[in-house]
Amino acid sequence: MRVLAVCGMGLGSSLVLKMNIEKIMEQEGIEGSVEVKDLSSIMGEQADYIFASEEIGEKIEHPAEVISVKNMTDKKEIKEKVLAAYKKL
Amino acid sequence: MILDLLQKKNIAVNVEAADWKEVVAETGKLLLEAGQIEKRYIEAMKQSIIDNGPYVVIGKGIALLHARPEDGVKENCLSLITLAEPVEFGNKNNDPVKIAFAFGTVDNEKHVKTISELSVVLMEESAVDNIAEMGSAGEILSYIEDILAQQ
Repeated sequence: MRVLAVCGMGLGSSLVLKMNIEKIMEQEGIEGSVEVKDLSSIMGEQADYIFASEEIGEKIEHPAEVISVKNMTDKKEIKEKVLAAYKKL
Repeated sequence: MILDLLQKKNIAVNVEAADWKEVVAETGKLLLEAGQIEKRYIEAMKQSIIDNGPYVVIGKGIALLHARPEDGVKENCLSLITLAEPVEFGNKNNDPVKIAFAFGTVDNEKHVKTISELSVVLMEESAVDNIAEMGSAGEILSYIEDILAQQ
């Protein structure tokens, strides 16, 4: 599963999101990669899913499905969303 | 490492702030007074919220503030304030903010380890509420140290 974690600058919230998605993938034995990107550099990037905050998610135009995360520090929310995405692959 | 960057001089507890701009100013002031950023970095952090929206409120009660390396970062740095009264940032899921971190990084790589450790701390159940209640920088630092030691 190839994931992009996206925020405005690709430095802060997207990095927190990446760490937390990676942790869940590791715990669940899901193979793949999570890469941090800023909004302006996602075009042309191949991915199965894009994870972002709701505000940023609304601005994203990309062929991959965008998954909005409300609380990037909530283990439960991220786990549910990662598992649901993985099942759909 | 987070504990190399987050020192007592970079932490202030029970800070008064009337709105989100004051939260940014107070969190940034700790980095400015330590000589770690230029003054314009604080304005850049505010501008980023105006431009990109309040998604800097990454989780319940917590803001993660920053701008770009070229906005006036002198060295990698991290500060933390806890608020006397919670402040609204306009984030519909995670307001009001109780604690705010500000960081600066000189490039797109050097802060990765720090933010990684910070996300470990923030994923801990009730970490934000616990930190918000603490009365001193020393108490907060030993709490963070304990969480990281369990990993």
